[in-house]
Amino acid sequence: MSVGRTVWLGNQPVPRRGPPEGTRWERRWWWFMRLSGLVLVILALGHMLIMHVLVQLSGQELNFAFVTSRWGTPFWRIYDGLLLFLALTHGVNGARVVITDLVHAGAVRRLLIGGLWVIAVLWLVLGLLVVVFFNPDGAPAVGPFS
Amino acid sequence: MTLADRVGQAQSRVLRYRVSWAQLAWFGHRLSGIGVLLYLFMHIVETSMVLLGPDVYNTTLGLFRNLPIRLGEVLLMAALVYHSLNGLKVILIDFVPAASAWYRPLTYGVIIATAVAMVPLAVIMTAPFMPW
Repeated sequence: MSVGRTVWLGNQPVPRRGPPEGTRWERRWWWFMRLSGLVLVILALGHMLIMHVLVQLSGQELNFAFVTSRWGTPFWRIYDGLLLFLALTHGVNGARVVITDLVHAGAVRRLLIGGLWVIAVLWLVLGLLVVVFFNPDGAPAVGPFS
Repeated sequence: MTLADRVGQAQSRVLRYRVSWAQLAWFGHRLSGIGVLLYLFMHIVETSMVLLGPDVYNTTLGLFRNLPIRLGEVLLMAALVYHSLNGLKVILIDFVPAASAWYRPLTYGVIIATAVAMVPLAVIMTAPFMPW
């Protein structure tokens, strides 16, 4: 059996890949995925770097007090709110594209994608409520686990 | 015969066709994306416990403070780093047609850069659970 030589730069450049043909919404989503992706590279990796690396290196611990001090400034609430909105929308639209690829057009696909958006909105509302309305003074000190 | 060819030969005995790095890069992008999305749904619920007060929230976080979960977080970090770098590659090729001739080196670069970045990240993230 012969095996082809590994070609490193054998590809011919392809023509510019712009937004896909299709509905206007599909082209909007195409732009959204790229623009939100660029922002998320900074926001999401920044979030992971702070929470999993810098916290670790500085010997801090993630707990209620940490959240209280962090969300004491509007900057981090806006950062987290933006990250939440963009990550959830980017991720859910990505999942929609995957479903569209895997499931034939029809009732099942509509049900899956419809359900996906319903869950996305519920989770987005829950997340935004937390980011906007979290108030350490209004929170109960003792919960059902104590 | 290069190492890549040997790997390809072994692989083509399992599948009827030779899987290319392009296919793997594409599949990895989807897999990591879905993985991060599932984590995000869980993470929103976990973080919303902060509304129920310090007692509930600290107890919830305590459930996540063990080695298996930490290894999962290392995997999450790897998924995010890979998805970010590969996404930048997709955007580059979308808008700079000439870059598509560099598809293979770019794909190798994304995979190698992810692996290299994960070495210090994994060491730092798992440090509290290591004997040293």
